Amino acid sequence: MTEDTSTAPAGPARRAAVTAAGGARPDRAAAGGRYRSWIPSWGLITTKHLELRKRRGLLVVAVLLTVGLPVLVLGLRLIFHAVDPKSYGPAGSPSVFQFLCQPMAEFGFIIAATLGATAGTTDLTDGMFRHLVITGRSRLALYLARIPAGLSIILPLVAVAFAMVCLVTSYAGTPQPTSINVNGISVPAQLSQAQLKSWILRHPQQYDQAFVNGGPQVGNGGPQIGPAPGSTPVSRSANPRPVIDRDIATIYGDYTSDETGQLNPPINEMVKIGLWLELDIGIGFLVGLGVGSLIGQRTVSTVLMIVLQIIVTPILAAHVIPYFINGQRVVVGIALDQLRPAGLAGGGAGGPGHVLFGGRGVLNIPPMPTWAMITVIVGWIVGWSVIGAWRMATRDA
Amino acid sequence: MNVSCALGSHCVAVARLGGGIGPGFLLLVVLLIAAAGYGATRLGRRRRGGRVADSTWHPERQGSSSTGAVAPSGDRAGAPDPAGLPSPQLTREDLARSPEPTASQERAHPASLAEPASLGQAPPVAPRAARAVDLLGGSAGGWAVETHGLTKRFGANVAVDNIELLVPRGSAFGYLGPNGAGKTTLIRTLLGLTRADAGTMSLLGIRVPSERSRALARVGAIVDEPRFHHHLTGRENLRLLGAARGGDADGRIPGSLARVGLTERADDKVASYSMGMRQRLGVAACLLGDPELLILDEPMNGLDPAGMHEMRAMIRSLVDEGRTVMLSSHLLDEVERTCDAVAIVDRGRVIRQGPIDELVRTAGARIVRLDCSDPAAAGRLLEQSGITASVTPGELMLTVTLPPGASRETVAEVNRRLVEGGISVYGLQEVHATLEDWFLSVTSRLGEQS
Repeated sequence: MTEDTSTAPAGPARRAAVTAAGGARPDRAAAGGRYRSWIPSWGLITTKHLELRKRRGLLVVAVLLTVGLPVLVLGLRLIFHAVDPKSYGPAGSPSVFQFLCQPMAEFGFIIAATLGATAGTTDLTDGMFRHLVITGRSRLALYLARIPAGLSIILPLVAVAFAMVCLVTSYAGTPQPTSINVNGISVPAQLSQAQLKSWILRHPQQYDQAFVNGGPQVGNGGPQIGPAPGSTPVSRSANPRPVIDRDIATIYGDYTSDETGQLNPPINEMVKIGLWLELDIGIGFLVGLGVGSLIGQRTVSTVLMIVLQIIVTPILAAHVIPYFINGQRVVVGIALDQLRPAGLAGGGAGGPGHVLFGGRGVLNIPPMPTWAMITVIVGWIVGWSVIGAWRMATRDA
Repeated sequence: MNVSCALGSHCVAVARLGGGIGPGFLLLVVLLIAAAGYGATRLGRRRRGGRVADSTWHPERQGSSSTGAVAPSGDRAGAPDPAGLPSPQLTREDLARSPEPTASQERAHPASLAEPASLGQAPPVAPRAARAVDLLGGSAGGWAVETHGLTKRFGANVAVDNIELLVPRGSAFGYLGPNGAGKTTLIRTLLGLTRADAGTMSLLGIRVPSERSRALARVGAIVDEPRFHHHLTGRENLRLLGAARGGDADGRIPGSLARVGLTERADDKVASYSMGMRQRLGVAACLLGDPELLILDEPMNGLDPAGMHEMRAMIRSLVDEGRTVMLSSHLLDEVERTCDAVAIVDRGRVIRQGPIDELVRTAGARIVRLDCSDPAAAGRLLEQSGITASVTPGELMLTVTLPPGASRETVAEVNRRLVEGGISVYGLQEVHATLEDWFLSVTSRLGEQS
């Protein structure tokens, strides 16, 4: 107030000057109409993006956990391979791809949830919510502006990290093998289920060694995947066709698990994995935003999301709880695991295979119908968004 | 319902023109009629609902006074106050009156008489009497703030109790009360930050909360301590708020920053701002919408004397521009220096409101200080005469309190009695009651202390 005083015009003239700085006085009626609109303006989204982007600590952690880990691992492998190619293999390999994509999904979800919780709570905790409400802008618009603002930060980060992994895997990786090792038996790679069945019928001896005797074994090098838990073991038989007809889905699941661990994922599989990662991250952000808006405290919201992601979901995904199987399936992580692409299944026990868009999942519980899976995912997105928006619209400022 | 009938007829006519009415179309027509009827009903209800459909003066709303008394709230209107003083029943005429400045006022407004050049953000502030403030309000475009029966409860605690408040346009209006009196709660309710439990209210003649967005487009406000995103600069915080305001608000950021003197620090993070700078940033945020009404909650909090002086000057300059400024405060002196009119709130109730001068003049007792040859004898003489309310003799001076409503003739009568009693009177000085004296006399705190 002590500055610019000597030159400041007085009284109405000064008011005119302030007004002139912003052009004509606003059309009040139009302003009122605009404020009531629930559609967030571009300016609202960009400034919210600015507010989130300027949180240096959070952004540094997000970059480190999404982009930083691939940069570090791939960078070191590239350097080592360049310096001593005999001792160190190529930077990209199926195992490295898995090694980097799995934490990207886990950390990405947590970072996205933290960012969402931050977006949902900082206006409250910083005391800005009151200022924003006083502007008369629709509270729903204020809430909705946070969604593109936050997603435009976290989704590109994950996209960049994943693109780096894909590029290194594709262009600085091991040559794509023509066969894979299943329990010591060489089986042609990239077979369809029908092709695998045909190969088995033509090679019963190898089939027995690879898939019938090949339960989990230790010390045999390479991935050792046997029949899935709960499936009926395929017995030796002079005529194995009926048994193979019955269990071909399970056998194919084991085969693709081995494939995933030993082959670089093809381009279309990489695209699926990328889209799945973005969906996973996006859901993390939206749920975090909803929980944060509901609770109003970032720390509590973040802790809840971490507990959901690294404690509740893995437990529910790994164990069948009698009479609660449908309750387990309502957890979004379970539905997302069922949708997880084969290339990101990580060589686990595997689900039914080809649930949706090639998803095979890493579930150890019976899968849910596709419509139920989609309903659960959409339900979490819409449900938490509605809850968050409702709380924001009704909260005392 | 005329709307719905018209719509229905129109649809049927269109269907006939189309060459036949199928069941699907009939269902559509029924739905349209139902929707139109529902809309018309809601519209009608909205128009009928609420007592504050317009902002003109309604004497019948003002409690028991048929003369249009300005609303001491609820059943305490007109009742004796805790200190035994009569409540001022201020009429429209009282409000419209623009009294000449008194000595105490001039003493209390040094900035208005000689604004230091270095602090001269605001133009010299005219004495109250010279200000063209329409304290009558209602006839000149309505009240800036108008509430009737406004009530807000927190459980059993009634924070805002049946408030009847009228804030004239183009004035600085003080909402004065002790801590915990419900000042901030009233402001939060007015701004739609919390819901009222009962009553009606309007801002600038626009009903809230039903038309809250339209009203708030013309209002700027600071509630409680102004807080911002600490990790952003002042300018970035204003950009955030400007984006929420929309329109030309973003273009007003430089002007607003210059107005509050924050241009040079605008690109520093708010975390490095002092309390006073955050207050100023809050005012800048208010100005983004080029508001007609500013509601400032305790704007002097945390300011040093120079900062208070600057804030006071800024408020006066905003009023001089034709804006209305309503500020809440527990700082009596600041309100007295800054505001044209005031409402005193205590325990959630407005117990007085009106122009400060009128309130003090009407409710305050007249005090006269006498310099005489024998103060003790003079005191005894006056006590025996019965023309004074109380007499307090000192070593050299005698302080005489006259009854409320005492005129200048009573002062002359005191002088005459003393001279006739053989006491030499060297000087006689009338002491004007300040807002603080009056405030303490009417709020419950005084009663609790005594």
